Amino acid sequence: MQNIDSFTHVRGESLYLDDLPIVNGTLYACVFGSPVAHGRIRSLDLADARNLPGVVRILTARDIPGENQIGGIIPDEVLLADQTVDFWGMPIALVVAETDEIARRAATLIRADIDPLPVVTDPREACALGQLIVPPRTFQTGDAEAAFADCDYIFEGRADSGGQEHLYLETQGAYAIPLENGNIRLFSSTQGPTAVQRAVARVLGLGMHKIEIDVTRLGGGFGGKEDGANLWAALVALATHCLRRPVKYVLHRMEDLRMTGKRHPYTSDFKIGLTKDLKIRAYTASLYQDAGASADLSPAVLERSLFHANNTYFIPNLRVTAYSCRTNLPSNTAFRGFGGPQGMFVIEAAIAKAAEELGVSALDIQRANLLREGDAFHYGQVADGCEAEACWTDAATRYDLPELQREVDEFNRQNKLKKKGLAVMPICFGISFTKKWMNQARALVHLYADGSVGVSTGAVEMGQGVNTKMVQVAARCLSVRPERIKIEPTNTTRIANTSPTAASATSDLNGKALQLACQALTERLLGVARARLQAEEVSIRNEVVWVGNKPSDLGWNDLILEAYQQRVCLSEHAHYATPGIHYDPTVEKGHPFAYHVYGTALVGTTVDCLRGTYTVDYVRVTHDFGQSMNTIVDRGQAEGAIVQGIGWMTMEDLRYNADGRLLSNALSTYKIPDIYSVPPVLDIHFLETAGSDYAIFRSKAVGEPPLMYGIGAYFALRNAVRAFNPSSNLPFDAPMTPEKVLLSLYADALVPTPEVAS
Amino acid sequence: MQTATLPTPVTQPRSAPPEPVGTGVRSFSLTINGAEYELNVAPWTTLLDALREYLDLTGTKKGCDHGQCGACTVLVDGKRINSCLTLAVMHEDHQITTIEGLADAQTGDLHPVQQAFIDHDAFQCGYCTPGQICSAVGMINEGRVKTDADIRELMSGNICRCGAYPHIVDAIRDVMQLNPTAQ
Repeated sequence: MQNIDSFTHVRGESLYLDDLPIVNGTLYACVFGSPVAHGRIRSLDLADARNLPGVVRILTARDIPGENQIGGIIPDEVLLADQTVDFWGMPIALVVAETDEIARRAATLIRADIDPLPVVTDPREACALGQLIVPPRTFQTGDAEAAFADCDYIFEGRADSGGQEHLYLETQGAYAIPLENGNIRLFSSTQGPTAVQRAVARVLGLGMHKIEIDVTRLGGGFGGKEDGANLWAALVALATHCLRRPVKYVLHRMEDLRMTGKRHPYTSDFKIGLTKDLKIRAYTASLYQDAGASADLSPAVLERSLFHANNTYFIPNLRVTAYSCRTNLPSNTAFRGFGGPQGMFVIEAAIAKAAEELGVSALDIQRANLLREGDAFHYGQVADGCEAEACWTDAATRYDLPELQREVDEFNRQNKLKKKGLAVMPICFGISFTKKWMNQARALVHLYADGSVGVSTGAVEMGQGVNTKMVQVAARCLSVRPERIKIEPTNTTRIANTSPTAASATSDLNGKALQLACQALTERLLGVARARLQAEEVSIRNEVVWVGNKPSDLGWNDLILEAYQQRVCLSEHAHYATPGIHYDPTVEKGHPFAYHVYGTALVGTTVDCLRGTYTVDYVRVTHDFGQSMNTIVDRGQAEGAIVQGIGWMTMEDLRYNADGRLLSNALSTYKIPDIYSVPPVLDIHFLETAGSDYAIFRSKAVGEPPLMYGIGAYFALRNAVRAFNPSSNLPFDAPMTPEKVLLSLYADALVPTPEVAS
Repeated sequence: MQTATLPTPVTQPRSAPPEPVGTGVRSFSLTINGAEYELNVAPWTTLLDALREYLDLTGTKKGCDHGQCGACTVLVDGKRINSCLTLAVMHEDHQITTIEGLADAQTGDLHPVQQAFIDHDAFQCGYCTPGQICSAVGMINEGRVKTDADIRELMSGNICRCGAYPHIVDAIRDVMQLNPTAQ
């Protein structure tokens, strides 16, 4: 089934936050952000800004009626800085004015007197200073230290992966409208309506019931609007609360880049031990996560790095410790993969290091260690429905891996100034929120008396096609045409206590809840049909009631009307909670995931060894979709995730200077994949697998897992560079920008820049 | 949990917003999608802001406001242009076409590029889509495209963060009836 938003998308009629009609009397807000990354506020001079005609009010921390606190996991994130500033751009004051232009101009007239404090931008330095967000966590299985003694080969190294700007094309924003009795209706571009509602209520000192959050759709989220949307919503809500007028704030791109958190950069040390037959016997690692200035979702991201530290390999002796380090950067946050990719990059680097030192192909080590059915993950869960080997074998056969490798070798023999590289990237990703309590969802279905259907769930549509999938679930369960069904905007008054649209689990959780709601309604309708038709064996098929194997003359519309007139309830609010999952963080063992998604990608690259530029020639994938319920949507998700993963690993180079100021602060300095940088060959093979009972219609979650195929691009480039310069001692340091490629190609010829006395 | 007292409402009189900072207002008209629109805006108002903020034509999107993402692409006399990088006042004598004006006004039939984007699922979140479609229409008008590589080169100014690029290429190739293997 086609995306249900297709028609409005191509006509420019899809409504995003900034497209909503403006309510009379609307004011516009703009943040005054800290001009330094760390310091103590001595004073704030608001006079010039206040005097600008059109400025209505300037709000500071003192105006907050409730708590000056929006931290989700840990209360360490103030809404408006009052004592110290902890990152460049941290909101200190909010200007509210008659127009957007005036608000922005006034913000430039505010002066802050700030005593500077030392700025830390390196997570290792933060860790050494004891600046940890939460105590370190260690996941282990077997006895890694003892097992190294049994290893034939041991290698150590360091692997760093950079951050990643979300760059949702629709920037962050919120629009608050005052209602009677101090209530507020708030339109927010958020993946987490309930998180926004909770943050706003806390800041205003109100009950959550007084705050209504409404989300039609997002122009992209990718994790950046999970907790990242809370701040902007709380700011406009504060202004609306104080002024009793509608207040809107949509960030400019450069504000968004400057003030919002990104994917966490990680820097890690690893040690890997193998036996002669290339089996990984022991693996240890220390991961240092750059959390930024506050916790935000960092502890949860850290947890997933630990869960995925083994990627898709069986490692009998493993010990990985992760540190969430507080630095003076905007608080880093969720980004597609949620720490999983960062953990997986380290084990892949360790395997590459071992392969390079041993003079074998990395894929021989990868292949020899793939998880098998019944293998235990280091966190105790047993691989069930494991498709790791099936995906690898299918990809290797379907795309002829030996021939691809031969082509690379042959090309590299014949060409001096261009080199090709090939890497295989198998993945395994656990599906569920790692916090058990978040694995719940609700759906509300109304059958209107004319036979049309209204569906509300907690899912937020952000391009991933969840609303299309919800239509499919309702249509199939009720046996009606999709045209009868409307998916309502996500709204906290219809669906309360939503989990964020995240963790790839949204279609599963909300789809299952919707399935339960439709089943309950169907049961009721069948009762009406039985009475009306005086028959026991009734069913609904394509909007007609059947008796046994024959259609009756009772159609959907008449059935609904009959039920209504019989005073049968035509609404259902159903609740779903994923069964069977549990986790005990005191021992770091349990069964945290409903199921795992597997897959294998073959990635080929060509490097121009004169210029350092390169192309990713192909990504050829066999992916475990289970029983895909929508191959159009799922294919798009896989392709998009791969492109984003390649971007993270190759070109997206986030740069802060030593003062904590973002240098890559526009699309001119922060490069994301454009249409020209997408691999010309992007094959996705849907491996038919059983799927999982916990996946809606056995159609496995798809949002995040394919992103990690992008890691293959890093290693394919590395292999190409090594084909040109085998002695190049490349650090494992993503992203592999053309600049880095060039420097690696000629590493031996580089003359160190003499230290310039400052 | 309930508020004891509500803050005092603002008692400022509701009046027209004060003069934009710096300069006065210019009155002129624009022809957009075949219709005349009167505008009273500051002369530095971009075409993008004129469309979105003053004419309620919100189909054209603001992604970066710096000419770096292409989401605001519209057609001016058939040529594609980043509407954030041009001032509205400069286009008094031009025919402006936005995403809202691409479909046939009489029949409602979609423009072939719009239809192809649907057929090829050439979007995800949809935010870049109006710009992609206007850019594709403008590119086809330019008459330079012969191959997939040309499409990629000439559409590289339109960013899609969801990564629907392969489908965008498919859609445009389909409209242009190009041979997918042409080099």
